[in-house]
Amino acid sequence: MSALIELHELTKDYSGFRALHDVTLCVNEGITGLLGPNGAGKSTLIKVLLGLVRVTSGTGHVLGIPLGQRAAEVRSQIGYMPEDDCYMHGLSGIESMQVAAQLSRMPSTEALRRSHEILDFCGMGQERYRNVETYSTGMRQKLRFAMAIVHDPRLLILDEPTSGLDPQERDAMLNRIRILHRQFDKSIILCTHILPDVQMVCDTVTILAAGRVRLSDNLEKLCSVRDPSVTLQITGDTSLFVQQLSDQQVRAEVVSPRVIRVFGEAAELNGTLWSLAAESGVMIRGIQPSRNSLEQIFLEAVREVQLAHS
Amino acid sequence: MPIHNLGYRRWTGKLESSLNRWMVVAGIGCRRAWQSAWLRRVIFFAWVPAAGMGFLIFLFERSAEDGVGSSAFFRSLSRVMLAQGNDLDAISELVSAAGVASSPESLAESRHQFWTTLLLSLFQRSQAFIMIPIIGLIAPPLISQDVRSRAFLLYFSRPLTQFQYLLGKLATILVFTSMVTLLPGLLLYVIGVLLSPGIGIVAHTWDIPLRVIGASAIITIPSAILALMFSSLTQESRFASFAWFAVWIFGYATHAAMLPFADAGSSVLIQSCSLFHLFRDLAGWILDVRTGVTDIETRFAVLFAMVGISLAILIRRISAPMKV
Repeated sequence: MSALIELHELTKDYSGFRALHDVTLCVNEGITGLLGPNGAGKSTLIKVLLGLVRVTSGTGHVLGIPLGQRAAEVRSQIGYMPEDDCYMHGLSGIESMQVAAQLSRMPSTEALRRSHEILDFCGMGQERYRNVETYSTGMRQKLRFAMAIVHDPRLLILDEPTSGLDPQERDAMLNRIRILHRQFDKSIILCTHILPDVQMVCDTVTILAAGRVRLSDNLEKLCSVRDPSVTLQITGDTSLFVQQLSDQQVRAEVVSPRVIRVFGEAAELNGTLWSLAAESGVMIRGIQPSRNSLEQIFLEAVREVQLAHS
Repeated sequence: MPIHNLGYRRWTGKLESSLNRWMVVAGIGCRRAWQSAWLRRVIFFAWVPAAGMGFLIFLFERSAEDGVGSSAFFRSLSRVMLAQGNDLDAISELVSAAGVASSPESLAESRHQFWTTLLLSLFQRSQAFIMIPIIGLIAPPLISQDVRSRAFLLYFSRPLTQFQYLLGKLATILVFTSMVTLLPGLLLYVIGVLLSPGIGIVAHTWDIPLRVIGASAIITIPSAILALMFSSLTQESRFASFAWFAVWIFGYATHAAMLPFADAGSSVLIQSCSLFHLFRDLAGWILDVRTGVTDIETRFAVLFAMVGISLAILIRRISAPMKV
C-alpha cells in the first residue's frame, strides 16, 4: 500500500484558535474513516487537503504533491462531497452535474454524457431534470455524491455521505462506496458520525479530537481485544459446564443463565469447549469471539480531551 | 436497474485547459439570467435608441450630400428623438456644419465630431436608462445566491480559483451590458461607415471603435464590480438590488442638491459622488467630445478607489467561507 496523504506536524491557527495541532498522519490507499466529535478539526483538515486553506506550520504531501502547491492539480484528482446542504441555485440536477464535470475540466458534451451515466449509477431517475431546490435532503445527498465522482477522481473525500438517507438508500450508498473501492481502486476518506457505517466499509480509522490525532490504525487491529474471550450461548446446565471449565483451568463467568463468557483465544478454546459441552450435556447454540466496539474505542479516544476541557 | 444503466465506468478522456474554467461560471450566470423575461424585454428595447441614432447618421450623410436643405428637418426630428440636453444643440450644429462644409477636410472633422457626440449621447442613455436596470436584474443574485446555497464549496473544491470565479461572474454581467453599450456603439460606427461616401472614411475615424470600447469598458466594468460587491455582502438578492439602485438614485440626488453650493474645489468631488455624472464625464473624455470637463485625474482617482475597495471587499467575502 502506498501513502496517498502524508502530513507531518501540521498546525492551523484561526486568529487565536488552534484548529489543528501538530497533526501527523499517513493515509494509505483504501477506505479510511475520519472520526471526531464536533469541532475536532475534520473540516479544517479536509480544507487543508483540498488546498483551500493554508497551514500555519508543518509539511506534507497529498497524492504526491507537496501541501499548498499545485492546488488545482490536487483538486482535479479529488472528489469532495461536502457535508453542508449546498447546491447551485437555479440549476437542475443534470445541469449541476454538467457544471461540476466542466469545472473539473471535462469537455462540455462529454460532461453531459458522463453526468447521465453517473446519475444512473447513483439511482437518480427522471428527477434529474428538476430544479435542485425542489429536491429532498436524500436526493441532494445523492446528487452531491454524484458530483463528487463525476470526473473519476483518484481520491474521494466524503463528508457525512449517509446522513439524511433512509435505511434503504443508506445501504445503497455504502454499497456504491464499496464498489468504487473494490472494483475501481478508489481511495476514500469517509468522515461520519455514524459508526456502524465506518465498521461496514472502512479499512482504517483515524480519530481526531481537539485538533489532534488521537488514534490512527487498522480497524481490524483496533477492534481486536487485549483480553480475548468468547461469548457462548448455551442451553443446559450452565453451572455444571462452568465447573468443568474451571477444572480444566479455563476461566469463565456467567453473564446470564444462558450466556457465559470464557476467557482465552477462540482458536485455542474451540476443541475444549465442544468436548466439555458434550460431557456436561450442554448444547452450544452460538459462539462469538468478543471484540472492542468502535463506539467504545471512539469514546475512549476522545475522553481524555473531554476530561482536559472539563 | 434501468437497461441503460452501465454502472460506474472509468473516464479516460482528454481534459480541457484549466485557464478557461471562468467561462463555465459565466455560462451558468448567463443561462440563469436569460431566463428572466424582463431582462429579455429590456435588452430588446435597449436597441431602440441605437436604431434611432443610426437614422441620425443617415440624415447627417444626406445633409452632407444635399447641402443645408435637410438640416431644418433634422432639427425637428432630433427634438423628438433626443431628450433635452446639450448634445442636441451640438449635434444640430454639426449637421448644419456638414451641410455647409466647404472642403472634404472640414466635412471629415465634422463627421468625426458628430459620430463621437452621437456615441456619447448613446452611452449616456444606455447608462442612465438601460444599463442600470440590466445590471440590477442580473447582478444581485449572482453571488448572494451562492452565499445562501453555500455553493462556494462546490465551486472551490474543483480546479477553480477565486479569481476565475470572480471573472466568470463579471463576464456574466459584461455579456449583457456589452449588448446595450459596446455592441450598439460599434454597430453605429459600422452603419456610419456603410452610409458614408467611401470606405476611405475609416482612415479618418479609425480611433472611434477603440474609443467606443474604452468608453464602454469605463462604464460597464466598474459598474459590474460595484454590483457584484453588493451581491457578495448579503444572502438576500433584494437587498443587493436595493443597494444598487440606491447608489444611483441617491448619488444623483446628492449631486443635484449640492451642486448649487459647490465652489471650484469641491465641485469635482460632488460630480464624482453621482455615478451618472462620473461615468458621463469619463466616457466624454475617452470619446474626445468637447464636454468642458476638467480635472479628469480626480475623476479617475475616484473611479479607481471605488473599484479597488469593491474588489477588496469582494475577494474577502468570497474567501470568507473557506476560512471557517
